[in-house]
Amino acid sequence: MPQQMHLGEAHEYLDKVIATLQLMNRREKGPLVETLEHLSNFIRSTRNEISSLRPESSNGDYLSSANDELEQIINETANATNAIMSAAEDLEKISETVDEKTRDGIISAVTQIYEACAFQDITGQRITKTIRAIQKIEAKVNALASACGGTHIEPLVELRDIPVVSSDVALLNGPQLSGDAKSQAEIDQLFASA
Amino acid sequence: MVDKNMPVMIVDDYSTMLRILRNLLRQLDFNNVDDATDGTDALQKLHAKKYGLIISDWNMQPMTGIDLLRQVRADADLKHIPFVMVTAESKTENVITAKQAGVSNYIVKPFNAETLKGKLESVLGAFA
Repeated sequence: MPQQMHLGEAHEYLDKVIATLQLMNRREKGPLVETLEHLSNFIRSTRNEISSLRPESSNGDYLSSANDELEQIINETANATNAIMSAAEDLEKISETVDEKTRDGIISAVTQIYEACAFQDITGQRITKTIRAIQKIEAKVNALASACGGTHIEPLVELRDIPVVSSDVALLNGPQLSGDAKSQAEIDQLFASA
Repeated sequence: MVDKNMPVMIVDDYSTMLRILRNLLRQLDFNNVDDATDGTDALQKLHAKKYGLIISDWNMQPMTGIDLLRQVRADADLKHIPFVMVTAESKTENVITAKQAGVSNYIVKPFNAETLKGKLESVLGAFA
């Protein structure tokens, strides 16, 4: 048996062993053949499962498709946010033509709109983190599928990140989950004591 | 007295955040605002004009906000400029690293207009 083999080759080798055993005395081969047949079936079903996950297969392109959908969400929320801000900016201009009390009310509401529009930055960062995770899974699935198929296929998906030129890559985590995120007050306290 | 006509550089890779910052700064009467989409872009612009304030995100590509801060603090022509980090990075080590690199103040996203005003006043002095 070769020292290194693909799962497909291993499966073929196993089938040969089973065929050889089947020629042997029934009493000796019984439990061993049964075990090997179980193993053979398990490998076959694993191969089929992994092959169906292959990113470029006709029924398995959902990973790339999911990335495209997520990128589309970022673009669409950006467009919507810009439209909301354009309307808020128009309101701010209109506020210059009204009395002071009304103006203050409009400016206060407009400021809240600007503050709320920051959601697009935060959700965009979270979605980008998810896209990167999916890209990594996609690359690993493709590599695994290639190993099972016995032929080497270059990963379909290139990670679309622009290389980060930073000495502190470990500090690039994006927004924290709500339970872990620090408030501005906690940041202030930390900043003062650091 | 804070000179609100001084050029302000805002740096963020999200155009919507640049627009939010520009609008909130305009409400505080800072109207001379330029923007950049990462540290490299910002550094080029910072050498072309005398800026009085830098407000930067951290997580940008290819040059991050922390590396921009270090480059600014290492540059004799730029090191005096107040530098406020506005970022979603809220881990303890981020705040400590930024402080050690010489950041003037640190705002965590999402933030409100009052927080922005308060931090700018603490860095530049009270607004009139």
